[in-house]
Amino acid sequence: MQTAESRPGHTPLLEARRLSKDYGDTRALDSLDLTIAPGEVYCLLGPNGAGKTTTINLFLGFVAPSGGQALVSGLDVATHDRETKQRLAYIPEQVMLYRNLSGLENLEYFAALGGKGSLGRERLTEILVEAGLERDAVDRRVSEYSKGMRQKVGIAIAIAKEADALLLDEPTSGLDPKASNEFSALVERLRNRGVAVLMATHDLFRAKDTGTRVGIMRYGRLVTELSTDEIGHADLERIYLQHMHD
Amino acid sequence: MIRHIVHKEFTDVLRDGRFRWCSILVGSLLLISLGHGWVQARNTQQEHAAAQATAREHWETQGEKNPHSAAHYGIYAFKPRLALSFVDEGVDPYTGTSVWLEAHRQNDFMLRPAQDATAAQRIGALTAAQVLQHLVPLLIILLTFGTLAGERERGTLRQLLATGIGRRELAGGKALGVSSALALLLVPAALVGAAALVVASPGPAASPLARGTALAGVYLAYFATFLALSLAVSAWARSARTALVVLLAVWVVNGLVAPRVAVDLSKWLHPTPSAFEFARTVESEMATGTGDISRPDRAASTEHLLAEYGVERVEDLPINAVGVYLQESEEFGNRIFDRNYGALWDTFERQGVVHETLAVAAPLLAVRTLSMGLAGTDVEQHRHFANAAETYRRDLMRQMNGDMTENSLTGDFTYTAGAELWEAVPPLQYAAPPLGWVLGNRVLSLLVLGAWLAGAILAAVARVRRAEVT
Amino acid sequence: MTVRTVLRNEWRLLMADQALRIVLGLFAVLLVYALANGVVWLRFQERTVEAVESGNVERTSALQQELDAIANGGQPSSPFADPRSPLVLGGPGGSHTAVLEPGSLTALAVGQSDLLPYYYDVNIYTNESSFQQNGEVENPLNLMVGRFDLAFVVVYLLPLLVLALSFNVLSEEREQGTLALTLSQPVSARSVVTAKLAFRALLVVGMVLAMSLLGILVTGGLDSPGRVLLWCATVVTYSLFWFALAAWVNTLRRSSAWNATVLVGAWLVLVVVLPAAINIAAGVLHPLPSRIEMITAQRDASNDAVNRRSELLARYLEDHPEMAEGVVADEPGLGALAWAATDAVNRRLEQVTSEHDAQRAHQIILVRRYRFLSPALLAQDVLIDAAGTGDARFVHFQSQVRAFAEEWREFFVPAVLADEQMSASVLPNVPRFRLADERPGEAARRAAVPLTVLGGLVLLVGIGAGVGLRRVRGAG
Repeated sequence: MQTAESRPGHTPLLEARRLSKDYGDTRALDSLDLTIAPGEVYCLLGPNGAGKTTTINLFLGFVAPSGGQALVSGLDVATHDRETKQRLAYIPEQVMLYRNLSGLENLEYFAALGGKGSLGRERLTEILVEAGLERDAVDRRVSEYSKGMRQKVGIAIAIAKEADALLLDEPTSGLDPKASNEFSALVERLRNRGVAVLMATHDLFRAKDTGTRVGIMRYGRLVTELSTDEIGHADLERIYLQHMHD
Repeated sequence: MIRHIVHKEFTDVLRDGRFRWCSILVGSLLLISLGHGWVQARNTQQEHAAAQATAREHWETQGEKNPHSAAHYGIYAFKPRLALSFVDEGVDPYTGTSVWLEAHRQNDFMLRPAQDATAAQRIGALTAAQVLQHLVPLLIILLTFGTLAGERERGTLRQLLATGIGRRELAGGKALGVSSALALLLVPAALVGAAALVVASPGPAASPLARGTALAGVYLAYFATFLALSLAVSAWARSARTALVVLLAVWVVNGLVAPRVAVDLSKWLHPTPSAFEFARTVESEMATGTGDISRPDRAASTEHLLAEYGVERVEDLPINAVGVYLQESEEFGNRIFDRNYGALWDTFERQGVVHETLAVAAPLLAVRTLSMGLAGTDVEQHRHFANAAETYRRDLMRQMNGDMTENSLTGDFTYTAGAELWEAVPPLQYAAPPLGWVLGNRVLSLLVLGAWLAGAILAAVARVRRAEVT
Repeated sequence: MTVRTVLRNEWRLLMADQALRIVLGLFAVLLVYALANGVVWLRFQERTVEAVESGNVERTSALQQELDAIANGGQPSSPFADPRSPLVLGGPGGSHTAVLEPGSLTALAVGQSDLLPYYYDVNIYTNESSFQQNGEVENPLNLMVGRFDLAFVVVYLLPLLVLALSFNVLSEEREQGTLALTLSQPVSARSVVTAKLAFRALLVVGMVLAMSLLGILVTGGLDSPGRVLLWCATVVTYSLFWFALAAWVNTLRRSSAWNATVLVGAWLVLVVVLPAAINIAAGVLHPLPSRIEMITAQRDASNDAVNRRSELLARYLEDHPEMAEGVVADEPGLGALAWAATDAVNRRLEQVTSEHDAQRAHQIILVRRYRFLSPALLAQDVLIDAAGTGDARFVHFQSQVRAFAEEWREFFVPAVLADEQMSASVLPNVPRFRLADERPGEAARRAAVPLTVLGGLVLLVGIGAGVGLRRVRGAG
C-alpha cells in the first residue's frame, strides 16, 4: 500500500494542515493534520461530535476554519472556492433531492451545476445504472425513491462529475446490508479509478472493509491512524473502544 | 375540563409576542380610527348644520320678489352626518354633500369629498369599520391557524386526547380562549364607541343605541364566523403552514378580490347610463314628454281655467293662470324626474343586490352592507335623504306657485311677496329611517351572514370530529 | 451556464408542482379579467367622448341653420332664444363641450377616471362653480370599492404572488437538504438564488407586462410610448422590490414558515396598514378645507349682485322669457346690466375658490409627501399617472378648460356689452376647445422622484440580500 508520504513530490489530493474549527467556546476540530492521496480511502471513525462532519464541511468550504488550512490538490479551500469544489464530489448522510423531479432530472441538474452540462441523457442514464439504480426507476419521481435509491443518485452525481476526490458523510447509515454492500463496491470502483475518498462513518466493519486507512477521532482530535491491511476486524474494534474509554 | 383549556389558550395567547404586537397594532388603529372618525363626523355635522342654517337665512332674507323668482333662487339642502357614521363612513365620501333645490329641476348632489382628495387617499381610507372588517379577521386567523394543526405537528394533540378530553370540548375551549383574548381588544373599543354615542353623539340619528347594538351584533357574528372557519381549516390542514396559507387565501379573496369583482359584475349585470346620456334623456323628455307623460299645454290649461271660472278672458280670472301652468309644468317635470332618477336609483339598488349576493363567496360583503346600513351611510339611506330633499323641493315649489296663483293676476309681473311668505315655508327637517327600515332592506345580507356563521360552525364541528391525531 | 441550468431546473420544478401551477393559472385569469374590465371601461368612455363631440357638431350646425334662415328673412324659433344675441349664441344653447380624451392607458388603470369629470360644457356663464360637478354617473358603492383593474392587481396581488413564489427560495433548499448538494458544486449561493429569483421574476413580470402590452395594443395606447415605458418600468421596479425583500428575508436563515409570516406581515404593513395610517395622519395633520363654504359665498355674492341690480322685470325675463309673451325686452343695455351682475358673482367666486384651492394645494403637497413611506402608494401613484388617469392630468385639463372659458368670454362679452347682434359669419371664428395634452415628458418628470426612491429601495434591499447571500454556506 502506497501512502502520500511514501511518494514524495506528488501532491496529495486532500490535505489538512493544523486545521481547527471553534464554535463559540467549543473546539470542534483541533489541529487536524491529514493527507489523502489518489486511490486512497480514508475512513474517519469516532463518536458523534468528534469532528468528522466538521472536517468534511471544512473541505467543502461550508464553514470557515478557525485556524490552519484545508487543501484540495494543493489549493486552499478558503481562497479557491470554485476550483476546489470543481475537484470534489460530496455525498451527504441523507442525499436529499428535488422530490418532484425524477432521478435523471436531478442528476442532469447537479451535473450541469458541476460543469458537466454536456452529458447527454443516455450517458446520464448509464451513470445512474452504473451507480446501481434500476433502469426503470430512472424516470420516476424521487418522492417514490427509497433512501438507498437516493443514495445511488448521490453516487451518480459524484461519478458524473468525474471528481478527483469524494467526501462521504455517513453514507451507509440507515441502508440495509445489501444496499450497504453495493455502496462499498461502488466506492471500491471509484478508488480504483484513482479517486481519493474521505469517508466519515460509525460503521467499523465497513471502514475496515472499504478503507485503506482509518483515523479515529475524539473531542475534535485525531487520536490514532491505522492502515487497514495491518489489522483485522476485531483489532479495529478493540483499538476503537480502547480510545473511547481513555 | 373545558375551563382548563380556555385558561391555557388564553394564557398562551397573551404570552405570545406575535399576538401582543398584532393586537397592540390593531387595537391602536381601531381606537385612532374611532377617534378620528368621531372628530370628522362631528366637524362635518357642525359644518353642515351651520350651512343649513345659513341657507335658511339666505332664503328668509332674500327680500321682496316674485314667488317664482324665489323658487328659482331656491335653497340648498345639506346632508346631515348621522351619529354612527363615525364608525363607518360608508359611501358618504362618494355621494355629494349638498343639493340645490330650485324651480323646474331635480339637481344632483354636489361636492363629493372624494373628488377633492387625492388618489392615494382613495385607496386606503381607514375607518373603524375597515379595521373591524379587514384587520380583526386577520388577527383571528393568526391566533387560530395553529390551534389544531400546530398541536398535531408538535405531537401535543396525542397527549391532549390521551387525557380523555373530547375533541369538541377541546375545540370549544380553544375557541373560547381565543375569544376571551380578543375580547380584551374589542370590548374596550365597543365601550369607547358606545360612550362616544351616549355622552357626545357626533350627529343626529334615529335610535342610535339600537343601531349601535345591532352593529356590534353583526360584527360579533362576523368574527365568530372567522373563528369557526379558522378552527375548521386548522383541524383539516395537514400542517400549520397549509392552514395559514389557506386562511390567508380566504382573507385575500374575502377582503380584496371579491369586493372588486362585485363592482364589475354588478356594472355588467345592471349597466348605468353615462352621465351624458342620462342628462340628454332628461333634457329631451322635459322638452317633449315621453310615453303617457306629456308636456302640459298652456293654451289648454288656460282654456280649462276659463271654463272653470266661467269667464271669457284671462284678465278676468280671479287667479294667476301662469301660476297654475307653472305648477302643472312642475308636476310634469316631477314625473320625468321620478321616471329617470327612479330608474337610476333602482339600478344602483340592483347593483347593491349583486354585491350582497356575492357575499355567498365572501362574508365581508354581507357585513359591509349591514355595517353601512346600520351606520346610515349606505346608498339606500343616501337615497332616503335625497328623496326627503326632493319632496321638500316639490312642497316648496307648490307653495310658491300657489301663492303666485292666489295672490296675483295673470300678466301681473310686478307682484312680489316678502319675508312673511319665505318664513311660512317650514325648514327642512330630516328624520333618518328607523332600525326596522334598515334591517328590512338588508334581509338578504342578514340571511347570508347567518348562513356563513351556521356553516362555519358546522364545518368546525365536523372537521374537529374527524381531525386526524397524527 | 449556472443561470441557464438553474432556470431550466426551476421550470421543471414549477411544472412538477401542481399547487404552483394552479396559483400561476389563477393569476393569469385575474390578469385577463382585470384587463377585460379596463377595456370595457375605456370603450365606455370613448363612446361617451364620441357622443359629446357629436353633440358639439350638432349644436353648431343647428345654430348655423337657424342663423342662415334668419338671414334669409326667417324668424328665430323663439324671440327669447334668438341666436343672433351673444347671450344666446355664447350661452347654454350654444355652449361648446370641452372633452378630455381618456388617458392612453386607461384600460390598464381606471384610476380617478371614474370619479373626476372629463368633460365640461363651456359657455359665457361658465364660472368656478361649473367645475364643482360630478363625474360619470356611478353607484357610490362602486366608487367606494374601486375597480378590479391591472393597476390593482399589480399593487395588491402581484406582491402576494411574488412572495408565494419566493418566500422559501433558499430556506426550502436548506430544509429539504438540497442546499448542501448544490453548494458542493462549484457555484455560489448568490448566483443560484439570483438565478432562481430571476426565473420567477421573468415569469411574473413577463405575465404582467405581456398582459399590459396586449391591452395597450388592443386599445391603441402605443401612441404614447413614453407612458408605456413608464408603466413597464414601474411594474418591473415594484416587483423587484418584493423579490429583493423575499431574497433578503431568506438570507436571515430562518425556516420557511418564519419567512412566510414575516413577508406576509411586511405586505400587510406596506400595502394595507401604512397607506391607511398615512391617510389618517394626513387627515389629522393636514385636513382638506371643505367646499361647503363656497356655496355660502356664492349665494352671498349673487344676493349682492341681484340686490344691486334691482330690476325685477329683467330678472324675471331672464328666468322666464317664455312667460312674458308680449312684454318685449327692448330696454337698452339690459344685457350689459345682466352681464355686470354675472361678472360680479364670478369674480367673488373666483376669489373664494382661489383661496380654497391654494389651501387645498398646500395640503395635498404635504399629504403626497407621505406616500414615500409605502412602496405600494408610490407604485399606485406612478402607475395611474403613467396611465393618464391620475389626478395630475385632470388638473391639467381643468386649467385648460378655465383658459378656454376665458377665451370664450373674450369672444362674446364685447358683443354683449355693445348690445350687438351676431350672424352665421362668426360661427367659424367661435373658439373651439383643442386639448393640449400633457407633453410626454410631464408624467415622466413627475414620476422621476418616486421611481428613483422605489429603485433606491430595491437597491438597498437587494444589496442587503446580496451581502447576506455571500454568507450562505452549505452547512453550519
